[in-house]
Amino acid sequence: MNDKPLSDQPSSRVNQILDLLVEEIEERIQARRRATPPVKSKAAPPPPRVEVERKNALPEPQVEARVHPLDPKPEPELPPMSPGPSHAARMMGRLALGLLVAIVLINIPFNRHGTTLATALPDSAALVVLDGLVVKEENDEKVYVYQNDQFRWISSLDAFEHFGYTWGDVHIVEDGYLDRFEIGTPLHVLLKCRNSPHIYRLENGEKRWIRDITTFEAEGHVWEDVRSVSCGYLRDLPDGETIPPGSGPPPQP
Amino acid sequence: MNNLAIIETILRDRRLFFGEIREGVELGQKMRAMLISSIAFFALYGAVMGSTHSLWQTLSSAIKLPVLFLATLVVCSPTLYFFNLIFGSNQSLTQNFALILTAITVTAVLSLSFTPIVLFFLLTTSSYQFFKLLNVGCFAISGIVGVIFLGQGMRIVSAGGKEGASARRNVVRLWILVYAFVGSQMAWTLRPFIGAPSMQFELFRQLGGNFYGNILASIGEILGFVTVR
Repeated sequence: MNDKPLSDQPSSRVNQILDLLVEEIEERIQARRRATPPVKSKAAPPPPRVEVERKNALPEPQVEARVHPLDPKPEPELPPMSPGPSHAARMMGRLALGLLVAIVLINIPFNRHGTTLATALPDSAALVVLDGLVVKEENDEKVYVYQNDQFRWISSLDAFEHFGYTWGDVHIVEDGYLDRFEIGTPLHVLLKCRNSPHIYRLENGEKRWIRDITTFEAEGHVWEDVRSVSCGYLRDLPDGETIPPGSGPPPQP
Repeated sequence: MNNLAIIETILRDRRLFFGEIREGVELGQKMRAMLISSIAFFALYGAVMGSTHSLWQTLSSAIKLPVLFLATLVVCSPTLYFFNLIFGSNQSLTQNFALILTAITVTAVLSLSFTPIVLFFLLTTSSYQFFKLLNVGCFAISGIVGVIFLGQGMRIVSAGGKEGASARRNVVRLWILVYAFVGSQMAWTLRPFIGAPSMQFELFRQLGGNFYGNILASIGEILGFVTVR
């Protein structure tokens, strides 16, 4: 021992201290391993390795600082930002894609009337009452159209077709919905055939002869309401009361 | 996806983004990204709005909603540019355009974030007036946040020029009012976006009435005071 140069002595002491330190750390790690039950999970971090070769190696200040158990743990370095789209951008892209799919799905008709998921909630609250709105109360067969601040009953299927409505236009409303509105005169269709000058009003499946032009105008009819049909069809319709009533037997077309 | 990364920069680090606009860094690329994203997001929102009525209304609204915002941008940009110029701004028209486009992009992103909520109410409620007001509310919130971004952007971009700074701030405030009025009138002109359930599809509805009167009437109907006819 005395033969060694003096300059080597502090170095060997440091080595001895470090060796003790390493042994102590190894023992503690082994003890912790024994105390902790083995975890089979793949995610479990591997135990730290202490290199045996370092026992005799000269200590490097940086390495010593990392191994020292009393030192605070160095803050982990953040991984470099990936050049690709980050989370929010991906989120935006996925949200947009998801919405696109949803829009397509809610617009696919699921019955023969062309009803889609987006339009499958009929309700009077969804209606905007404007001229031309066609409604039918849930438990009533009568179909009404809104004209000039009042609902008018469309008196026949001929009238319904004549005025250009389709069943797709009819909005089903709850019973009593029409009570809130003024009910106007019924909407009739006037029938006439080519070979006859007479005009009839179709009401409840019966044809009612309109006696003359004065009555025609007095009833508020216009020529645009007259629908041309075949004389055979007109003859097959049963006769109703004349307009005005008591005008004698109605002429046949 | 690169376009969306640029949009994310606006949301996460707006100072950096506005700083780059001030320096004129890749303005073209930024504007293209904002334009594409805004059009896509507004189109999606518009499609959801129009879905309440019909497929045609869906397609129509998907086109009209981006047009509404971009047309408002085109109409209002020169006013902001020239008034800023008078009060000592050294921004170019492109920078102004980029700033307003930033506000619109923020509005578009927030609208996109509202879309699932709108979709939810579309499928669970049937009140037309409620749905209309819900959409107006979503746009109001998104638009307000958008113009707040614009105000911040203006301050950052024109930070160098001290002369007339307070006047320019007032110009921006007044311009935001003008922008809101032009936007609402543009929306009224391009309506319908939702489509009243009782009416046939129409690309544009005849003019008449105004945006504010209609909104008040809708509120009145929801509260049970009036019936919108």
